This record gives sequence, C-alpha cells and structure tokens, in this order.
Amino acid sequence: MNFVVIAFKSLVHNLLRMFGFGKGVMRNDLDIYIKTNTGNTLSISLDPAWDIKNVKQVVAPQLGLAPEEVKIIFAGKELKDTITISECDLGQKSVLHAVKSKRKLQVVPSEQSVIEEEDVGSKPLSETLQDSKFYDQRDEKLSKDIIQRKVHFYVFCPTCKSLRNGKLRVRCEICKSGAFTVYEDPQNWDDVLNSKQIPGYCENDLCQSKDSYNSEFNFAEFFFKCSDHISLGEDDTAVPLYLIKTNLREVPCLACGDICDPVFVFPCKDGHVACLECFRQYCSVRLAERQFWQHPEHGYTLSCPTGCPDSFIQEVHHFRLLTETQYAQYQKFATEEFVLRSGGVLCPQPGCGMGILIDEGCKKVACVNGCGYVFCRDCLQGYHIGECESNVDTSNAAGCVYSVDPSKAASARWDEASKVAIRVLTKPCPKCRTPTERDGGCMHMVCTRAGCDFHWCWVCQTPWTRECMGNHWFG
Amino acid sequence: MANIAAQRIKREFKEVIKSEEVAKCAIRVELLNDTFTELKGEIAGPPDTPYEGGTFVLEIKVPETYPFNPPKVRFVTKIWHPNISSVTGAICLDILKDQWAAAMTLRTVLLSLQALLSAAEPDDPQDAVVAKQYKENNEMFQITARHWTNVYAGGPNINKDCDDKIRRLADMGIEEHQARVALSSYDWELERATEQLFS
Repeated sequence: MNFVVIAFKSLVHNLLRMFGFGKGVMRNDLDIYIKTNTGNTLSISLDPAWDIKNVKQVVAPQLGLAPEEVKIIFAGKELKDTITISECDLGQKSVLHAVKSKRKLQVVPSEQSVIEEEDVGSKPLSETLQDSKFYDQRDEKLSKDIIQRKVHFYVFCPTCKSLRNGKLRVRCEICKSGAFTVYEDPQNWDDVLNSKQIPGYCENDLCQSKDSYNSEFNFAEFFFKCSDHISLGEDDTAVPLYLIKTNLREVPCLACGDICDPVFVFPCKDGHVACLECFRQYCSVRLAERQFWQHPEHGYTLSCPTGCPDSFIQEVHHFRLLTETQYAQYQKFATEEFVLRSGGVLCPQPGCGMGILIDEGCKKVACVNGCGYVFCRDCLQGYHIGECESNVDTSNAAGCVYSVDPSKAASARWDEASKVAIRVLTKPCPKCRTPTERDGGCMHMVCTRAGCDFHWCWVCQTPWTRECMGNHWFG
Repeated sequence: MANIAAQRIKREFKEVIKSEEVAKCAIRVELLNDTFTELKGEIAGPPDTPYEGGTFVLEIKVPETYPFNPPKVRFVTKIWHPNISSVTGAICLDILKDQWAAAMTLRTVLLSLQALLSAAEPDDPQDAVVAKQYKENNEMFQITARHWTNVYAGGPNINKDCDDKIRRLADMGIEEHQARVALSSYDWELERATEQLFS
C-alpha cells in the first residue's frame, strides 16, 4: 500500500516537473522570421540563451550554406557570433536578415582580438542603448547608476493608439531592405530623422544600388517600431516623438513642479521641461481657445509655454498625446486655419463649415462639395449683386435673393435661430470677419483668432484709434 | 484637471512665504479657500512714489487652466494710477494678459505689480482720466495719488486741502467717495467738480 502511494507521488511529481519545464520552454521561446537576400522568409523558434553562432548553425543548412558563410544582420549591424539573442532585445516576430557573406573572411591573428573588437562596436542599435549618445555631453557627468537606466525612444504607435516605447530600426534608403549595415552609429536625432546622414552597405542583391557606380556606399534610413505589441511586419512602424525624453537629469516640470518621467522637452534654447500630464493640459487649454499657431512649415502647432522665441514644436505628431476627440478637433482647426491662411473661406452655413479655396477677386462662392450654399465672399451672407449690405438688414435681403423650398426652410429653423442669435450677439472682426461676441469690458476689441490679433473698436467696427479711446472707450 | 493648478499654487504659495520680499514686508499672500482658487495678495507701496507707506490689497483668482493662463488679479484697495481702473481696480499689465508665460509665479506677479506702481505706463492706460492727468498735470497727479493712498491704503501723508474740499462737497450732500472722484478728475477745482456733480 505504502509502495503504491510512493510510486503515485513520484509520478505526480515527475508530471508536474515535466509540465513546469514545458511551460518554461513555451515562455522563453522566441518566434523569429529570418529573411534572406534571395527574398525567402524562414520562421524559426529561438532560445534567448543562444548566441548568434547557434542561430547560424540552425539557419545555414536551410540556406544551403555553411555556418561560416552566413551573416546575420539586425537593426543596422552584423551580429557577431558571441552575441546572445537576449542581448539583442528581439521581440516576438522580429525579423533577422541572413545573407551570404561576400567578402572573404580575413585571416585574423587570434580569436581573442576579434572578440574584443566585437564588444566595442557591434551591438545592434536598439531601444536599450545604454550609452548617452542621444544626450548631451553634460550627461556624462551624471552618476553611473542613472546612466544604467534604460534610455528609451518614445513613439506614437498607430496600432496601440498611444505613447509607447520605441525601437530604432534601419533599412536601405533605396530598396527599403532591412539587410543593411551601417558604417557608423547615429550620434544624435538629426542623424536619425534626416535622410542621407549615416552611410552603410545594402546586402540585398536585388537593390538598385547594385547597378550604380558606388554600390558599397548607400545611405541608411531609420525608422521606429513600437516595442509593446508583437510586430505586424516590416510596415508596422511608429512615429518617433523625439521631444519626449527620459528624465535623466531629474528636471522638475515647469508647470506643476514635480519630477516626472518621461518628460516633454520643448525645442527652445533653455529646453524647458513639462511633465506629460501638464503638456496635455497645455495643449487642451490652447486648443479650447483656438490659440494654436498656423506655422508655414511645421503646420498647426504650439511654442514653449514660457514664451521662448523660435520654439515651435516641429513634429506635430506630438499632439497625438491629446485624447482622440481632442486630436480630431485639432485636425479640424488645423484644416480650417490652413484654408483661411491660404485666402480661402469656410462655408458660413451652420453645421457645414466646408473649407473652400477661391480665386482672388471672385466674390461669388459656391459650397460645391458641401451643402451647396452660394454666398458672398465679403459678407458671408447669401450671394448678392452690388455692395454688401450692413449686417442688420441682410436677414431680409437673403430671403429676397433666392426662393427656398418650404419643407427645407421648416427643417432649417433651428439653424436659422442660432444664425440669428450669432447675428444679434456678434460683430465680425473688421480684418478676418470672425463673428466676435463682446462679453463685457471696454470697447477695445482684440481678435482672438490665432494669427489675426487685430485691434478694433466695437462701436465703429474699424481699427482701434486714439479717437475711439477718447470718445467712447467704455461706451 | 484643476489639480495641476492647485498643486502649482501650493508650491508658489510656499515660494512667496519664504521669499525675502516677505521678510522685508514688501509682499504678502493669504489663502481664502482650501481649493487654492482664490487668494488675497498685498503689496507695499514702493518708496519714493506717491504710494509710499500704503498697503494695497489685491484679489487673485486662479483659473482652472493655470499656469497656462494668467491669474485674474484686481486691486481691492482703491488706487489712483494710470494703469489701474479707479472704479473697478482692473489692471492693465501685459503679463496678466497676452504676455503671460507659464514660468511666471505669484511672486513675480506681485513684484511686477509693485514695479508698475513705481513706473506707470500712461501710453497704455486702463484709466483714461488718470492717464491724462499723469501726462498733463503730473504735480496734481502726485497730490491725488498720495491723497488716495492716505485715505484708502493707510498712507501717512494727510492732505488738508483735499480733505477740506471733500468736506465742503459732503456738506452739500455728496457722498464722500463720489466727491473725491469728482475732485480728483478735475484737478481739485471745486467749481468744476461741483458743476459735474450737479449737472
């Protein structure tokens, strides 16, 4: 009896161990794609404890090559035999590139020296760059334990729809193949964001650069991937939000004073720092007041909240940190401002607002792709011949110019009511014609539409003058 | 959302309390509620100005969107100054409007207001009457501002002539402050002030 119990116990124990072991393998295994320069893709499972030599031994037979003939390329670097998989920070379904080594292996004096070289320069470029290359010289003074913290890239991932850690990847500028090795590491954001900064060699046999005179010298194209979801293939890229940085220097937020991580560093001379929460609030406040700035090059953007000169945020994807609703509003405002800046108008029909670009000198505007309303460019009322009437009388005039379908008129009454309300309560800015409501204070109006800032008199509806100040400043 | 504003004000409040200006009794702040949205500020009239010796009370309202929008500040103590409304206490100061920057604090606002008291900008006025007097009859402006400081802000300089004229109007049944405004606006000419009051 006792014997049976012991035998049963050991059986259960063994089963559990096997089960546990099996689970361990499941968890550690890494499914990787290997792309070859002949265009084939292999799917293999790797143990993170392996080094690249093991990988070559697995891959080479499938390519019909000897392991010594294979080069493994990842993130712009050829991986040397001694690097382990776990050091490369590969995610599930990452793509490694295996190519046949074309250059003859140099005869090296001893293996030892090769290994030393490898340790210096051949780590793949990844999100865990533990050096401070992307930070200033000043950072080198920081204590070592801070340097040891992971230096992340931050991206906006369109799949996760939020801010994520990013991984830096490299491909050939011409054929977009990932089988590309860089001759030097990028040293700063300019190297990564601008094209033709970092030279390298494309291993893809089909690349057009092979036809050109200097096939050994191409340029690298850098891109980013989200490190939080399993890669969906080579086109699954993310926008780098390069103004978001790891707060290595522990700088307090300019708005709330807390030390947060990561932080938003404004592109001004002083590099003012805001925590992400305060950055979001700053954007929401400015968005709600429509106080973003339509910059000719960078688009609808903001500058440093401390008022630093030349501090516009150039990569407007940083505004993806806003909520979906706010971002949609941001895009709407941006489009409207763009239309207005380009000399266009917005359809004045309530609920329409279609942006219409018009030729100079043309007064009659038809909302062709929108509601079909035909209106006067100058007074934004129904189209009329001759001079614009003052905005008090146009309510009648609009009715005379064209006849309206009675059923349509009935359904549009609510809109008409709000139109009347706007007409009664507001006066248009004499410069940009934005309907403006005066909610108290003096008669000196300053147009709040970003970029207009026109000073005008509520009484005269003309530019604000000393006479207005003397005669009817307070009404 | 308001917690950023409250947190920030809390920090700034401590900054003011610890500042050397408080030690010199030049500025002061007091909380009026637990949510840090309303504060009472005080600034001392700067030396060598008509405001010397006076204490000016300010109403500070912190918007939810602080520090990305400026605090709303108003003089509670009545004051005769080209950039401050003698009626409402509204202030015309660029940093409280479009020149506001998120890096500014309660302390810098109070110090800027103190600086405004020593250096008025009559070309960008809030009170047209005061600004006109400042530019055209500066001596009379100094007298008026000093008198207001004495009456409303506890300044030490009593002006007997002003007090007498106000008493004469008061004897005619005019409310004291109304009389003071009329006389101040008409360079303390009793006749013109009376005419305006009874017209």
